[in-house]
Amino acid sequence: MAASYVSSERVLKIRRGLTLPILLLILWEGSSRSGLVDPRFLPALEDVFLTAKRELIDNNLIGELGFSLFRNIAGFLLGSALGVLFATLLALSRVADALITPTFNGLKQISLLAWIPLISIWFGFGEQAKIVFVALAAFIPVVLNTYEGMRNVPADLIEVGDALRFTPTQRITRIFLPSALPSIATGVHLGLIYSWLATVGAEYFLAVGPGIGGLIIAGRERFDMALVMVGVIILGIVGFILNRLAAKVENYLLRWRVSTH
Amino acid sequence: MTLLSDNTALVPRSLQGRARTWRLRRGGLRLRRVAVALILPLALVAAWWLASSQGWLPEQILPSPAYVYATAVEMIASGEILYHTGVSLRRVVIGFLFGAVAGLTLGVAMGLSRRVDDYVRPLFLAFAQIPTLGWIPLLMLIFGIGETLKIIVIAKGALVPMTLNTAAGIRSVPANFVEVGHALRFNRWQTLRLIVLPGAAPSIFTGIRYGLTHSWTALVGVELLASSEGLGYLLVWGRQMFWLDVVIVAMIAIGIVGFLMDKGFDATENRVQRWKQKEES
Amino acid sequence: MSLSQLTRRTVLAAFAASLLAVPAIAEPVTINIGYAAIGVDSRPYAEGTSAATARAGEFLEKEFANDPDVKIEWFFFKGAGPAVNEAFANNQLDFAYQGDLPSLIGRANGLKTKYLLASGARKPLYLAVAQDSDIKSVADLKGKKVAYQRGTNGHLAAIKILEANGLTEKDIQVINLDSAGTVAALTSQDIDAAFGDTPLINLAAKGNAKVIYTTKGDDPRFSRNAGIVGREDFIDKHPEITQRVVDAFVKAAQWSSDEPNRAALFELWHKSGTPVPILEDYFSNDTLAYRNSPLIDDLLVSQYEEQAVKAKEFGLIRRDVSTDGWFEPKYLNAALAKLNLQNFWQSYGANGKPLGS
Repeated sequence: MAASYVSSERVLKIRRGLTLPILLLILWEGSSRSGLVDPRFLPALEDVFLTAKRELIDNNLIGELGFSLFRNIAGFLLGSALGVLFATLLALSRVADALITPTFNGLKQISLLAWIPLISIWFGFGEQAKIVFVALAAFIPVVLNTYEGMRNVPADLIEVGDALRFTPTQRITRIFLPSALPSIATGVHLGLIYSWLATVGAEYFLAVGPGIGGLIIAGRERFDMALVMVGVIILGIVGFILNRLAAKVENYLLRWRVSTH
Repeated sequence: MTLLSDNTALVPRSLQGRARTWRLRRGGLRLRRVAVALILPLALVAAWWLASSQGWLPEQILPSPAYVYATAVEMIASGEILYHTGVSLRRVVIGFLFGAVAGLTLGVAMGLSRRVDDYVRPLFLAFAQIPTLGWIPLLMLIFGIGETLKIIVIAKGALVPMTLNTAAGIRSVPANFVEVGHALRFNRWQTLRLIVLPGAAPSIFTGIRYGLTHSWTALVGVELLASSEGLGYLLVWGRQMFWLDVVIVAMIAIGIVGFLMDKGFDATENRVQRWKQKEES
Repeated sequence: MSLSQLTRRTVLAAFAASLLAVPAIAEPVTINIGYAAIGVDSRPYAEGTSAATARAGEFLEKEFANDPDVKIEWFFFKGAGPAVNEAFANNQLDFAYQGDLPSLIGRANGLKTKYLLASGARKPLYLAVAQDSDIKSVADLKGKKVAYQRGTNGHLAAIKILEANGLTEKDIQVINLDSAGTVAALTSQDIDAAFGDTPLINLAAKGNAKVIYTTKGDDPRFSRNAGIVGREDFIDKHPEITQRVVDAFVKAAQWSSDEPNRAALFELWHKSGTPVPILEDYFSNDTLAYRNSPLIDDLLVSQYEEQAVKAKEFGLIRRDVSTDGWFEPKYLNAALAKLNLQNFWQSYGANGKPLGS
């Protein structure tokens, strides 16, 4: 009885959730068919579909996506690994904290994209510059959250470590990292989202090369709204998948927390 | 879960946790802390100065600090930096206001009504998955490269965190608070104004904070891509003309504005919270 | 300053010496060549210069065909001359085709380069306006949105044209766009006008814009220059390779200057995506030899000097930049002698008059 009640509520929810998107699609198709809207601004759904098919089959869309994902993942891994290390240093060393944290807090106020010109000049026109930029995007949230998590490790846990005469390495791996894990996971999740934004930014503002960002810019230059839309939709789908993936990983890493409840 | 798909919730605003406790101690300690904090920046500048004066660091990679300083002074004196900062700030304020008001409205509607939430959220989240930068070329095709484009992009930056955090904040107001309102025979508007919104305030503030940050990032992005004035334009201009000193001055200006927005926001938030506490007590 | 330069030189010399000690052939070399433009839809080709001919006709690849240790890599930059400077700053390029203003900007910023030969000199610039625009002359640009790519040789030429019509950069709204961005913005009438070359002629031919002015046939001082610039370290380290690179570019210049090749040349340049009729228009009334001359003659040198002065005057370069010691005609002269081309191109005096015969 209760089960069917829940499922009928779910159906209602899904039905409601689909209403607006479907209405939107109908409105889109209707206005482009009736010629009410300039097709330059709103191409027919069919055009978008055909463009997607053309890019996929004739123009190596998968390859372009591969390039973007490679940059994204390489930069993300680099940035978040360095971020965890850096934050651990800041959180555990009083000296490093007093010396470096204020400078880091100052530098992080510089909007991410403002680094583009310097990164371009320091790292040139190859993959390197793009990966460095993506890494920077992931680095900042990972540092902030890891630091926060490590600073909030309960004092009694630290005392336990002292009592057990843990070595510094043991203290990090057995106390600080595990108890900061929820925060680190949040940071990594955010890092993943920001690194996707940065991948697009790198492809817009650093030298041209294959990638979804370049595809969108090319679409704009050719006045090909359908191509721009295909690119934007891909950005959204990848963003969605990355988000889900991060949430899954987060839940997996934090599964032990549920059991303690 | 859903909060996390908003790119912003749950980020500590900065590494200030420690600073707060410090502030409670004596002023002397604070001074010492500031002095220690300045060691690294000063050392970096000294190293930078030494490297460029000795020619270890080619100026096409990093111009000398003296040169950057001279440029900064010159650009401040000529009013150039102030002008471009003003242009950027105006865009952010207008764009942010549009985005925040729209986000607040949508967030309140979604927070109050399960039905609205069911209808809107999936589509909204789908749109939110696309990075703000991704929208720019599409919007450029429709709106051109004028002021409208900039305002819309900035507003979009503020919209997503505002909406999601407002909705979440309102959801989190305990049902018995609302019941108290019923008992006091509040009408809908009174319930909203006196109970629901104050209860949701912390979350709304989080939304505003991230909305502002996102707006600011979006501004730099859209100014980099298409603009003839503003701080982002100054960056492009410096890059094109190979004036790294101008690039660095623009970066510093962007950093300072970011910092001031952060601090200004802290102050406002504290004041509102204090006022709220006074009201309550 | 001079001391540090001295130590740097010494270090470099020692480095070079240590490399020379190793047998020269054994070491594989990749020659990275940049081009301060990009084809239509980002095709890795260009047009209108002997460097573009060298690329499309694979003159360098042929020159080094029997040297498996030498690899040629071409890079085309949407960011044009300014992006080439960034790449030079990172030592990612050894040679590049670059316009006058950006190469002077690079020099003003301490990039260690040498100017080896002219390529794409005396290029005209065009002013196009949106199809429905009522702009009739350069003077009408006042207060309008005008696009060009900042920091390129077109930028400096555009300011000179504005100046001749009583305007400065401050009188117009400058929109910084690369050539593809310019085409899109002009088509959608987001901007009122734009300075540029073949993409604008092409747009006008398609009826999406009107060309209302060109420097072609106007005062030759308004035209733009460009050339092949080499990185000093590379040249010092590999003088023989540099010589052969210059040889190949000179051969390409010769082929591009032979009138019987006109049709074949445009067909070759068409690899960039620009239609042949547009290229014909771009070169109408000009002899190929006039536009494709590699010579570093008095006219070219004096024009670069003037560009340096003008760039400073207009605030595009904020320090004095000297061209002294920058031009390195040694390799060009050797190539001309080797290929017996000493009298193939007409050289011009600083006053623009033909020299000699």
